[in-house]
Amino acid sequence: MSRTLRWGIGLLLVAGLLLGAFLFLPFRSWLPGGTVGDVAKREVVNGTQFNRLFPTPQPGEQLVFTQEKRGFSQARLKRGEEVRALLSISDVITAPASLGKFQHSSDMLQNWPLVDQGSQASALLVADRFQVKVIGQGSGLDATQRHELLGAFNLPALAALNPSLQPAAGVRGRKALPAGQGEVVRPAQPQRQPQRQPVLEPAA
Amino acid sequence: MSATVLERLERLPRRNLTVLAIKGISTLVPGGWRNLTSPAELIGDVMGSDDPELIQQVRARADELSRARHEGYRRALSLYDAVNRSQKAAGGLRVLANVAGALPLVKRVASLSPASETLQAVDLSLKVAAEMLAFTQVNGLPGDSFADFAASLNDYAGEARVRMAAMVCFDALLPLGDQALHRLDGLLGQVGSRQLHQVPAYAGMASLLPGRGDAAHLGFLRRGVDHWLGWADGFIGELGLSGQRAVRALEGTLGPWQGGMEQLATFLDAFTDTYAHTGVQAVARRLVERAAAEI
Repeated sequence: MSRTLRWGIGLLLVAGLLLGAFLFLPFRSWLPGGTVGDVAKREVVNGTQFNRLFPTPQPGEQLVFTQEKRGFSQARLKRGEEVRALLSISDVITAPASLGKFQHSSDMLQNWPLVDQGSQASALLVADRFQVKVIGQGSGLDATQRHELLGAFNLPALAALNPSLQPAAGVRGRKALPAGQGEVVRPAQPQRQPQRQPVLEPAA
Repeated sequence: MSATVLERLERLPRRNLTVLAIKGISTLVPGGWRNLTSPAELIGDVMGSDDPELIQQVRARADELSRARHEGYRRALSLYDAVNRSQKAAGGLRVLANVAGALPLVKRVASLSPASETLQAVDLSLKVAAEMLAFTQVNGLPGDSFADFAASLNDYAGEARVRMAAMVCFDALLPLGDQALHRLDGLLGQVGSRQLHQVPAYAGMASLLPGRGDAAHLGFLRRGVDHWLGWADGFIGELGLSGQRAVRALEGTLGPWQGGMEQLATFLDAFTDTYAHTGVQAVARRLVERAAAEI
């Protein structure tokens, strides 16, 4: 067998193996595109923290939570069987395009910019980080009703969730140090793998 | 890359056997059913507005969300697909067995193919499990307490009434008879790991079921079905569903049927995709509700 042929076959094998490894081994979770907008999950505020900030329903009405993911929580406001509105809070870090509409808004609600989208949706931007939205369903809600609902969310508590406002001790301390010495030395801890529990896991 | 959820919605058939079967069953459910296959219409329905620019924004966001692997929307669809493929394969085998049973030479083949009620029970329990897994993939674990979660699950079931009615009729009442729900637990009790492996969907879903090994999975399936039975019993009572009524409702759209209920169930298993069809529609709606809130 000639030398070039041997080299050719060898290279082909290596290329095939690499390609195979890339396609078949579970590398996919390391590849980009796993999360929304390629923002790391830990940078997004978890939807669980939003749940308690939803408005308390009026007598005769009912609040049913429908979705909860990283950076998103949604509930339906129901009266009997009829769905009156979709209420939601989302972290805009994964959807920077949604910030554009607030730049030209002159309306304010509790000092946060307010925008109407179409005839049934109203959105509020809180602390430049969280979008609160009410979308009328079924027979619909008029603008005043939607704005009242937006105001009924616990907006101060929501604004306080903004990670850049929180007094995170680690981050502050690091900023105070001169460049190059910012790494905090931590005692070595045994890496503990979280045990997989046999329960249903949410996707995010 | 595979299609996004809204692309799948667009590709759903407008009118075929599946659509007719669901239309037939939907006559038993108050509120009825509309075969919504246009993303623009769905978005307009959720947003309460037909502004093309808004619809375009929601659509772009929905596609971005469904492309993100960690968000689970497409994983839910692949669960539905796995169950659907398995149902078609098993149904096809049984159709073959029915045909072969009529031919003297190949009668022996017919007696080999599995068509037992236990398998049907396993199939149903896998569908129920797939439904719950898909729910958590699509919606996460909504609310702060178990009561919130249960309310959310009931709300979802209410929204998917036609889907549930189709499942109850096609996979329980027709093949197993009107006492299906009361017999189900007993039937599942007889299932061993051999029967479990005979159902093609199990291979696809095993890695997603909690617990390790066939015994743990069977336990999970039985618990899942147990939970579902309580709800389904009320549902059947409320709508007055029965095998006879299901056949009559289906005859309204599919035409007269002369065979038995079991054969009708086999026929529907082999030639319709009701489970995946309504599944895509349900996931698409939840996805659009989220995308509309995030734009």
